[in-house]
Amino acid sequence: MKFLIILAWKNLSRYRKRTIITAAALAFGLGLYIFMDSMLVGLEVDSERNLIWFETSSARIMNKDYWAEKDTLPLKYALDNTNELMERLDKEGIAATPRTVFSGEIIMMKDPYLEDGSMFTKIFAIDPATDENVFEFKKTIEAGRYLEPGEDGVMLGSWLAEDIGAEVGFPLTIITRGRDGYKQTIDVEIVGIINCPNPYINRASMFIPLDTADYYLAMEGGVTEINLKYTDYTKAETVSMELEEKLGKDLNGWVILPWQILAKDFVSLAEMKRGSSSIFLLLVFVIAAVGVSNTMLMAVFERERELGMMRAMGMKDSQVKTAFFLEATGIGVIGSIFGIILGIGLNFWIVNYGIDYSFMMREIDVGYRIAGVARGVWNFDTMIQALILGVIMTVGVAYFPIRRGLKLEITECLKDK
Amino acid sequence: MITVKDVKKIYQAGETEVKALRGINLSIDKGEFMSIAGPSGSGKTTLLNLIGCLDKADSGEITVDGVTIKKQKKKELALLRRGRIGFIFQSFNLIPVLSAYENVSFVLSLLNLPEAEVKKRTEDILTEVGLGDMMDRRPNQLSGGQQQRVAIARALVKNPLLVLADEPTANLDSKTGEDILKLMRDLNRKHNTTFIFSTHDPMVMDFADRLVLLHDGEIQSDKKKGA
Repeated sequence: MKFLIILAWKNLSRYRKRTIITAAALAFGLGLYIFMDSMLVGLEVDSERNLIWFETSSARIMNKDYWAEKDTLPLKYALDNTNELMERLDKEGIAATPRTVFSGEIIMMKDPYLEDGSMFTKIFAIDPATDENVFEFKKTIEAGRYLEPGEDGVMLGSWLAEDIGAEVGFPLTIITRGRDGYKQTIDVEIVGIINCPNPYINRASMFIPLDTADYYLAMEGGVTEINLKYTDYTKAETVSMELEEKLGKDLNGWVILPWQILAKDFVSLAEMKRGSSSIFLLLVFVIAAVGVSNTMLMAVFERERELGMMRAMGMKDSQVKTAFFLEATGIGVIGSIFGIILGIGLNFWIVNYGIDYSFMMREIDVGYRIAGVARGVWNFDTMIQALILGVIMTVGVAYFPIRRGLKLEITECLKDK
Repeated sequence: MITVKDVKKIYQAGETEVKALRGINLSIDKGEFMSIAGPSGSGKTTLLNLIGCLDKADSGEITVDGVTIKKQKKKELALLRRGRIGFIFQSFNLIPVLSAYENVSFVLSLLNLPEAEVKKRTEDILTEVGLGDMMDRRPNQLSGGQQQRVAIARALVKNPLLVLADEPTANLDSKTGEDILKLMRDLNRKHNTTFIFSTHDPMVMDFADRLVLLHDGEIQSDKKKGA
């Protein structure tokens, strides 16, 4: 075995250029793999966080019927007497905030706007006192200020504001229908513009104080949902089930839906993207594998006589295989180590600086909840995985050329060509 | 020690059948210094390959030191070659990345001998072939004759019963070739190792104690010196 190790090492240094080129191909593949994995995981982690911080919260209490007809935002299924439930949740140590979500048409008039216009949008009536216990909007004010209770003011998503040419201090008229079905007109002033990392919010969302909406929509204290914040949102499904049991009849037949259900489309999309990302990562590996395979093929071709001589001297096929496998392992280890170094370098950049996708995310909805800079994450498991995979792959692709070489008769190998 | 009984070997060259050996019968004793000679295509290398257990005959039987080649499996043949047969090739076939010492010692490392013994035997044999001061040199730092000496040392270091040399001087100038043949003959005398070498060079044939002439896969003559 010692001899085989020495032979493999010496052969690696003998074909230095080839070793370097092959190891470089492998290193490039692995580096790219680490980088892509970091970026994709980062996108998913950030998306998930932005979804929970700005869209769904960890879980939501709502009327079953409201959930069934959620696309029409039916105010008739609002939750009444929510104060008791809020108190119960407070006793359980769970941060909660009530909201009413409704749709409306916003009307913009020429001066101060450039021209008359209108558009439909989703309006979130939030409780300025408790919303920040669950959501993170307060930290994303780009211009103006946060909402105050009872005011006829609104906050707009930054892209929506840009689209309609709105600025802080501009007036807006909202036409909507109240809980009783009658049309309502609400005149408001833009008090703040928020620029949050979730494109769904930036693109078409408007926020109004809950008590203001309550008055105009004749909600009489009713809200369409209570949003909850769990310490660990990844366990939202389990915690929601446990909480449902604890609250029992206080829930009045309402349901607690974890974010995984509230954002089922995102969860499925993330799974689908994970699948397609794996295919992409596999392709990176296949390209590296072809490079390594080619080198091993050349190595076996060029050393057919040597192979024949070693077998003539009485070396068993298994020993010859081991000699070549050790060489392949050497290339695998060198390539993988350099691949990890390259991956760490690329990762450092993507983690600290990231890629600014804002130009794309604004126009195209790709499902990710990233509005601007996409950052990677440090994933040391992937690096270890890359090292192991790199070595296994190199040895794996070396198998076929070696097998082919060993299939040749010794006399064939020794012939002068 | 070696018997070759009615051995035939046919090769397929495209659609043509080449009868390389057409019924060879030979008996070789221990310690012989024998040459198999003949023109190109006469079957010399084929016969050496069969005796050296590198190939199998289509018919007939070869026995080496009591072992019938035909009945042996691939692994058993590898073990037989490893322990009892040494090879010297026309183009030396040394491993270019290894030193002279390593090229010789690797044969012993296959026999799992203790390191101290490997060292002693390797150094002894390299000194014997005149390369005592060149052990650390790689093949590309040695002349053709020196490389063939390393190959001879590699063949002999395991004390084989038989050394097969396929045109060992073909790639050497006549002076170096003669030196190599003298060395082989000296080692044959000293160790009583059987040497069989193929050639088509009359000078090389003269060195042999026994000369078997092949022509078109058949033995044309089989003469011992002084007989």
